[in-house]
Amino acid sequence: MRFSEAMGRKVVSTSTADTVGKVDGFVVDPSTRTVLALEVHKAESGDVLRWADVGSFGVDAVTVVADDAITEADDQVTALLGKDHRLVGKRVLSTEGDELGKVEDVEFEPGSGAVTLLVLDRGEVAGVRLRGVGSYAVVVTAE
Amino acid sequence: MRTSEIAKRPVVTLGGEDVGQIKDIVYSAGGGAVGGFTLAGRGLFAGPLKQALPWRSVLALGSDAVMIADEDALEPAQEVFDASASTGGSGGNVLGSAVLTDTGTDLGTVRDVIVEVSGAHEGQCDVVGYEIEASQALGHKGTRMMIPLPDTLAASGEHLIVPASARDFVADDLAGFGAAVEAFRAQLGGRD
Repeated sequence: MRFSEAMGRKVVSTSTADTVGKVDGFVVDPSTRTVLALEVHKAESGDVLRWADVGSFGVDAVTVVADDAITEADDQVTALLGKDHRLVGKRVLSTEGDELGKVEDVEFEPGSGAVTLLVLDRGEVAGVRLRGVGSYAVVVTAE
Repeated sequence: MRTSEIAKRPVVTLGGEDVGQIKDIVYSAGGGAVGGFTLAGRGLFAGPLKQALPWRSVLALGSDAVMIADEDALEPAQEVFDASASTGGSGGNVLGSAVLTDTGTDLGTVRDVIVEVSGAHEGQCDVVGYEIEASQALGHKGTRMMIPLPDTLAASGEHLIVPASARDFVADDLAGFGAAVEAFRAQLGGRD
């Protein structure tokens, strides 16, 4: 699944059947190359849904078991929040110092949250090559 | 690679942060190798940084960025200068110096410095030649030409002395220059 497809998807609580928010962004941990949390808007209890608290990432909705799963960001998530840590729109540098393009979209595995592919404006980069995400660039291991 | 192309290149950590950009090149080994780089801050009003980047901390000298592991790669600029000086002086600024052969012919004026990274990480960044504005002696007065350098050479602020045979290995562009440097150095090695 791609970030662009999953954006705006509703978050539904399976215990109350209510829509509790909408997916508004992705918090990626480059050290594990996984989605650490989802940014959620229109939720009352906070704006972050940790991946561990996602029931399932379905085709039409993201389900959570408890409606208090959406919380304020903890320290780990805060450290990776914000546009400095966002992938989409950022230039991609290889560890050899060569620019490969710009990130247009990111593919992830809906079960595990693993980042599987970076889709660039020219070409693609496998998710396993992701090394770091900073204010200047996304760094990927050179081939 | 021309050193003029390295200047202003961003210095980026593996974490994707730009810590500065290349300002100047610090030469070591009597001007025969790159010892490190001085840095300037990024952005419109950023000035020179007090920290410099020693060559041994450079992971890669890429076409779009100079890669380092993290900000710990930077050292106080003075330490980088001192380390380079201890291996035979910084070589000073060679741009504008006249290139003289050891037989006394003026080949032209240095306009740019050509470097090449030998080996992967931990490899040296060798100064392999100069781009010179040719003199009459080379037959193309005023044109830019590449002249290969021996491993070591004598340099003052005013003159650079190269072996007379260097003029046989002058190249017009960077494409054929790598081979010219190798051939030139092989010939010098064979003569000793």
